[in-house]
Amino acid sequence: MKKGDNFINKVKEKITVHDIERQTEDQVTITVDRNDLPEAVRMLYYDMGGWLSNMIPNDERQLNGNFALYYVISMEGGKMTPEDELPQEQKCWITVKTYIPANDPTFPSVTCKVPAAVWYEREAFDMFGLKAVGLPDPRRLVLSDDWPEGLHPLRKDAMDYRHRPDAVDHQDEPDYKFLEPSGSGVVDVPLGPLHITSDEPGHFRLYCDGDTIIDADFRLFYQHRGMEKLAENRMNYDQMGYLAERVCGICGYAHAIACIEAAERAVGIEVPLRAQAMRVICLEIERLHSHLLNIGLACEVTGNINAFMHIFRIREFTMELAQLVTGGRKTYGNVVMGGLRRDMSSAEIKKSLDLLVTIEQQLIEVWDAVMDDKAQVGRWKGVGILDRQVARDFSPVGPNVRGSGFARDSRHDHPYDFIDQLEFNVAVENGCDVYSRENVRYKELLESISIIRQCFEMMPGGQTIIKPQTMIKPGAFAIGNDEAPRGENVHWIMHGNAQKVYRWRCRAATYNNWSSLRYQFRGNTIADAALIVCSLDPCYSCTERVTVVDINSQKSKVLTHKDLKRYSQTLKNHPLKNM
Amino acid sequence: MKLLDMTRKYGNATYNYPFEPYKVPEGFRGKPAYDYEKCIGCTACAVACPSNAINVKLNEDKSKLVWEFNCARCIFCGRCDEVCPTNAVLLSDEFEMAVRFDKDNLKERGELDVECCQKCKNPFTTSKLISYDIERLKKAGWDEATLAEKTKYIRTCPECKKNIAVENSTQYFVRKRK
Ligand code: SF4
Ligand code: SF4
Repeated sequence: MKKGDNFINKVKEKITVHDIERQTEDQVTITVDRNDLPEAVRMLYYDMGGWLSNMIPNDERQLNGNFALYYVISMEGGKMTPEDELPQEQKCWITVKTYIPANDPTFPSVTCKVPAAVWYEREAFDMFGLKAVGLPDPRRLVLSDDWPEGLHPLRKDAMDYRHRPDAVDHQDEPDYKFLEPSGSGVVDVPLGPLHITSDEPGHFRLYCDGDTIIDADFRLFYQHRGMEKLAENRMNYDQMGYLAERVCGICGYAHAIACIEAAERAVGIEVPLRAQAMRVICLEIERLHSHLLNIGLACEVTGNINAFMHIFRIREFTMELAQLVTGGRKTYGNVVMGGLRRDMSSAEIKKSLDLLVTIEQQLIEVWDAVMDDKAQVGRWKGVGILDRQVARDFSPVGPNVRGSGFARDSRHDHPYDFIDQLEFNVAVENGCDVYSRENVRYKELLESISIIRQCFEMMPGGQTIIKPQTMIKPGAFAIGNDEAPRGENVHWIMHGNAQKVYRWRCRAATYNNWSSLRYQFRGNTIADAALIVCSLDPCYSCTERVTVVDINSQKSKVLTHKDLKRYSQTLKNHPLKNM
Repeated sequence: MKLLDMTRKYGNATYNYPFEPYKVPEGFRGKPAYDYEKCIGCTACAVACPSNAINVKLNEDKSKLVWEFNCARCIFCGRCDEVCPTNAVLLSDEFEMAVRFDKDNLKERGELDVECCQKCKNPFTTSKLISYDIERLKKAGWDEATLAEKTKYIRTCPECKKNIAVENSTQYFVRKRK
């Protein structure tokens, strides 16, 4: 029996499965009727211990006259209790596929049964015009509010990628409907939409009763860049990896690897061992500098600038490490299909090992000092609780879910590259709060150092690249996964003709973390809002401007970024006192 | 308090940059440096470059082949360095590339003389590429006659080569049919 067959047999007991295709040893796709889709996904998700990792709508009208949906489910066990985990040899990816006829682009919503699908189904309508019937929240997600109705950009015949619809005048822009709780005394606090320290804009609405947040909603995707469309039209595989890298300025390498490995797996390319080891090293270096950034910011948001500076001093060593391993301050510009462009010399390996010692020593020292500071720890504890059941329903990833006691780690569940030859522990904490998430990050830093060290010590010889020969099979598809600093990145690629991709779906880690954020805000104070967002590590830690509206008195007041940050850091002189 | 002690222990963590240079390790992948003297205009780098930072094409009146590198597009992957047959582009350790006001200052250009096809007289490649090829052929140790024939072949543009090949093969078919 092959991996995943036991689950598929169980699905077959209730549902007709039309087709079973195997992409790799641990990736299977089953095709079901669109009316059976919600039940099939629910069975795999709740009954058999799956988590929703990705959902790919695809315009296959050129291939078979239909649209298709692929729900990618990671079978790893529910993990609500330590025993509730599948044995390692049963873990796999099961993709539930369904066809949607071109003349009736609707399908029954899965979200009613599996809440984790909500963002994916909203996006499916925006990008492909596929309507999820029964979707509780059908608002726009990805496209901007003034994008023309009925233009679904990822449909193959929708538009040329250069097309720019006319912009709507500022005053005529439609308003986005936020989900507002009703009731007297509810104050609406918008956070954003512009954001000055990092480059990512997002608009948060916090609904407050006094100082306490009772609900929250947000609007993102102000910076949608249309990369998926770009890749389908113009890029060849030499360029794809470098485009994927530019998804993020911090953890882009993880995207490049997930993207390229999806393409490699679809056609069964084996990468040389040395390149595998180096890919793992680079991914872990990325985790080092990203986690250090996040822990630093979590200190800074709460006013501990001193700790922030020390952590950044250490972070500089990790950038130097990246320079030794890849020749650039970031690990970018190195991944190609079939391996890596640049090899390392033994002198560089020796120097890197020395650097690791320094990083480890100083990291432990700083962390001890931060933990020694009762005020700092007090600000983190009990804040931004991610409830375990909410986590189970929404499939969050990375330190966010590991801080709530779930041992979900792509390196452990779906080992890629060299990982299965290494020893490491999955860092888990049970407090469900910001403190636990930062602790997870700290533990992971130490694990990463140990992983990098093991890789250097076991570094296999030989080439770092194979000559990929006529490798593309049109229509072949596969999943590529890796554990980025913020959680599991899952990319999906279907090959097309002429060395181009037919469809590239890039699902960044934070995409899965946003939908549960609303619940994490509830019950906290405004002062902790920035910290909670920060603890998700969405490259996001502060807001430019806040308007406060008191619904009762109809008064409003504009708070600057400085006001909010000052209050967040000092907890003195409440900015709304005089309203 | 522990944090303050650490500050004393480690002292200054920053460099006095830009008043003191920041040293990058050996093997750093910096801005590709172009050596005009060595370039033969083979366009291998332009084909390999994933971000289209390098363009090699004929200028408007087709009198020169222009090699142009736009550093603002470069992602420092080093593909150009890897494919260049004459080491005319090599990654350097230079990383300070800020320019004021005009991004065109980041562009580098080199103009190479072109060579015309013996048959149709249209320009098709650079003189330097032809001499490079002939140089290589001489080293391969061919006798004079073969060398002359091969040189003639090299001096013909791809379009004419194709036509000649087609002509030759039709002759062959015609004869066979008889
Ligand atoms: S380093 Fe890479 S991106 Fe830059 S010019 Fe060379 S090939 Fe192009
Ligand atoms: S590959 Fe080298 S020789 Fe050829 S055009 Fe580029 S720089 Fe010139």
